Amino acid sequence: MTPSGACRVLVVDDEPQIQKFLHAALTAAGYDVVAAETGAQALRLAATAAPDLIVLDLGLPDRDGKDVLRDIRSFSGTPIIILSARDREAEKIAALDLGADDYVEKPFGIGELTARLRAALRHKATQALPAGPIAIEGVAMDFDKRLVTRDGEPVRLTPKEYELLAVLFRNAGRVVTHRQILSAVWGPAHTEDTQYLRVFIGQLRAKIERDPTAPRIVTTEPGVGYRAAEP
Amino acid sequence: MAQTSRPDDGRPDPDALLAAARREATGRLKVFLGAAPGVGKTFAMLQGARRLKDEGVDVAVGLVETHGRAETGALLEGLEVLPRRIVDDRGHTFAEFDIDAALERKPKLIVVDELAHTNAPGCRHPKRWQDVQELIDAGIDVWTALNIQHLESLADVVSRITGVMVRETVPDRVLKEAADVVLVDITPDELIQRLLDGKVYVPETARRAVDNFFTAGNLTALRELALRRTADRVDDQMVDYLRQKAIEGPWGASERLLACVGAEEVSERVVRRAAQLATSFNAAWTAVYIEPVGHVNDAKRAAQLAKTFSLAERLGGDTTRVQGDDYPEAILRLARRENVTQIVLGQSRAGALARIFGRSLPDAILRRAGSIEVHIVPQEERVAKRPLLRRSMLQRKGVEAEIGAAFAAVALAAVVCEALSAALKLPNLSMIFLAAVLVTGMRFGTRAAIIASFLSFAAYNFFFIPPLYTFSVAQPQELFALLVFLVVSVLTGSLTGRVRDQREGVIKNAEVMRSLYDYSRKLAGASSADDVLWAAAAHLHATFGGRIVLLVADGDDLALRAAWPPDPQLDPTVMTAARWAQQKNEPAGWGTGTLPNADFQFRPLISARGPIAVCGFEPHSPVEPISGDDERALASVLDQTAIALDRALLAGEAVKAATMEENEKVRDALLASLSHDLRTPLSAIAGAASSLRTLGERMSDEERVDLLTSIEEETARLSRFVANLLDMSRIEAGGLKVGRDLVDVADVVQGAVERSRKAFPKQPVRVNLAPDLPFVHGDDKLLEQVLFNLLDNAHKYAADGGATIHARRDGDDVVLSVTDEGPGIRPADLEKVFEKFYRGGRADGRKPGTGLGLSICRGLVQAMGGTILAQSPAVRRKGTRIVIRMPAAEPAAIAAKPGS
Repeated sequence: MTPSGACRVLVVDDEPQIQKFLHAALTAAGYDVVAAETGAQALRLAATAAPDLIVLDLGLPDRDGKDVLRDIRSFSGTPIIILSARDREAEKIAALDLGADDYVEKPFGIGELTARLRAALRHKATQALPAGPIAIEGVAMDFDKRLVTRDGEPVRLTPKEYELLAVLFRNAGRVVTHRQILSAVWGPAHTEDTQYLRVFIGQLRAKIERDPTAPRIVTTEPGVGYRAAEP
Repeated sequence: MAQTSRPDDGRPDPDALLAAARREATGRLKVFLGAAPGVGKTFAMLQGARRLKDEGVDVAVGLVETHGRAETGALLEGLEVLPRRIVDDRGHTFAEFDIDAALERKPKLIVVDELAHTNAPGCRHPKRWQDVQELIDAGIDVWTALNIQHLESLADVVSRITGVMVRETVPDRVLKEAADVVLVDITPDELIQRLLDGKVYVPETARRAVDNFFTAGNLTALRELALRRTADRVDDQMVDYLRQKAIEGPWGASERLLACVGAEEVSERVVRRAAQLATSFNAAWTAVYIEPVGHVNDAKRAAQLAKTFSLAERLGGDTTRVQGDDYPEAILRLARRENVTQIVLGQSRAGALARIFGRSLPDAILRRAGSIEVHIVPQEERVAKRPLLRRSMLQRKGVEAEIGAAFAAVALAAVVCEALSAALKLPNLSMIFLAAVLVTGMRFGTRAAIIASFLSFAAYNFFFIPPLYTFSVAQPQELFALLVFLVVSVLTGSLTGRVRDQREGVIKNAEVMRSLYDYSRKLAGASSADDVLWAAAAHLHATFGGRIVLLVADGDDLALRAAWPPDPQLDPTVMTAARWAQQKNEPAGWGTGTLPNADFQFRPLISARGPIAVCGFEPHSPVEPISGDDERALASVLDQTAIALDRALLAGEAVKAATMEENEKVRDALLASLSHDLRTPLSAIAGAASSLRTLGERMSDEERVDLLTSIEEETARLSRFVANLLDMSRIEAGGLKVGRDLVDVADVVQGAVERSRKAFPKQPVRVNLAPDLPFVHGDDKLLEQVLFNLLDNAHKYAADGGATIHARRDGDDVVLSVTDEGPGIRPADLEKVFEKFYRGGRADGRKPGTGLGLSICRGLVQAMGGTILAQSPAVRRKGTRIVIRMPAAEPAAIAAKPGS
């Protein structure tokens, strides 16, 4: 936080037009904006300007955005939102696996970006606290009692389903990649078995969603992973 | 060779003066020496000749081969070319140099190309250098060209370096006695490039030539030989000069060489080596033959010796024979008497004599040579390259030879018996006949031995067993002895013969194996299918003789891919036979049941995937079938070829697949770049618009205006990009409509500058137009588009440094240029910038370019009949200048334009 109490966002993008509107919009939305145009500049500012959030474009003139991400992650846990293109899916997933917190596809509206920023900041704020119950769309998860309820009624989940839901709820509002889920629930040896995941997500939705064909609690990020709605 | 004795008295050396005087009276020979064909000898020679002609010298061209090289041919124009003499030899006509015409014409200088040429039979001299000699003797100056490989003393060095036998040679003394030698030299790389550019041979031949003879290694070696030979000559000239002027010079303590020759072939190499050494040491040399006392050489050896001696004389050496039984002693005695400093010897085969004494001649000489240097020329492994088919024919002829040999042996035995019959008892005489049978068997094989047995039986009976001169036998025990003789002689004779036949077989097998081994090595080195096919054609030709063709399936038909000799004409029958062999997977053509009247026999080359090619070969003799041995050899060669070809074809397909993959990658990169170019302005627009909508009221007026401006700017950028894409696809599809009106360049420049000012208000554009600019033919809209694209580019890459437009008249063209002061373009990329989707910087980099601007410009300018190119650096070692050249309109056309 800056002395004024505003969150400081480091925006890394080499397009002057995008920098221009992000600066205007994020300032108007109450953020303190620091701009970087190159990977090297981004690393320096990430280390010295103490940003609370980083918005990182993957296409940078001097080096690959993923490398910049890896370097930042080596010394900082600051939430990072990736700006990426739909046709660069592999790149986007790689960035998430490398420790990016979320992504926004270009072209994007400012509302979408600020929502992601808020989720990432909230997650950062709650991360340190002991995990209390989380409730999303009437489904509550109490980690202490290892209990899941829907509208107050307990839901019976298998241990794998429980762990799966726990991973998603702990990251509520943020995308979690297939690989991250598989590695957390089934172990690092199963990171490619996305078929498992589909089956389990289907079973989980049948138990917790009001309408499993139009899920609202656990939504699919096509080709990337799943996201639990914001609490 | 001139004696190199030292002129102690300080007077000019008479020999040197004499040689100079002789040179004065006769014509002068100037040799243009080159390392290899294609270095430009003929070109240089003709250029010089033209210059002399311009100076008024009486120049004529006796004969020049242009080899279809256009630039050489052009030089011939305006020079007097003497008619050639048409020589008819067994149905072939040759256009040879006409020496009589040249002598009659008697110009001051005559140009006669290719000194090493061998004249067709029926000409006055067998060799062209002899023609040239005659011209010089007649007082005519001659200019000629020679490749270093044709120099006699270097012939075997060259064939060892290049693997090509040099058949046409010129004696060293021709070059040595030439008044001038001009070295025409280019680097091997340049020569190879010239070859590949098709300046020396037609392209396909050129590629073969580069692969086989004109490798960089070969050329470097040949070039070194040429350079060194020329340098040696310059050295000689200096020495000559010193001698003529009686200057005490560095030639002083001359070397003297002795080449020891025998009646073997290796001696020719000894002689060549000695001549080389002598040349490099500037030494006199002598070839010596040590004749054993009382020994007479047989005709063959005598002929070989004469050949060696004549070679030595051609190479400038003296020859001498010395009688003596102790070789080393005789050689060394001569050496000491003649003040020889170096002895050159052939490595002797370990002869019977050497084995007895446990040492060879070189050993003995080395031991006793003292201060004399001894060079030993190694025995060269004789590479027997007798074509199989031809050898089989020899063997067929052998039947008569065998009968003849048997007759001769028995007749000899009979004569010997007759001579000894007084001294020996009758039964002992049979031993002499038996010996004749054995010898015949040993030399000519089983069949000859059996023939000799029966002949001996008859002769023994007829001449020696009473009653004499009849075939009847008087006494029963003699009949018995005679029959035993017959049985014994047939048995021993055929045994000896079989041993000999087996030995023959082993040798022949080894030969076949070696030839196959050589071939497989060659195949292993061939990487492409064409290389394999050409190697196969060359090998088959070398092994079996006759014409060889190789055809490979090409779609539904067969395509001729390799042949030796190249460029055969295949008639329809032959092609039908080839197709038959391919389709039915069986031999066709000559010697088979299918189309036996075709000139070739075709065999399919079968791989695991089926027949992949057919090989056609021409028989030596149309009547005799292929022998079993040849059949086996042929089959294994074809098998090997099929395997190698299959491998090469598969490798080729792999390369094709890799290329496709590469193209895929390029296309992905293009798509990524396109999507980036579309998405960046869209992101800015969407982001700015949504920011204004949701957060607008919290922004300052200035910020709002800024965002609105950026929406406008990005929309304009997007629209330019889309327009460029459309233009590009129109140009590519050929749907571009180009007006061919008269265009006022100044108007167009003004239009483009105005558009540019609107789009990039911050970019200054300077305009510098020459007065009285003519109109150009073209389309004003398109030309304006081109200029605008160039200004757009300048803006992108040179930021706000601005751009300058120049226009001026240059001859029949109007030259328009747009110059910026940006970072410029690397020289390697000057052409690439006009490629589609090429951009300065990286594919998804920061420059908001489309990679289309310049390629559109080129498309448009070319459509209007102009040219466009990039120059960099343009000003003060930076910047880029794009230059457009448009044809100016004719003044008449301008006059016709209404209103002008």
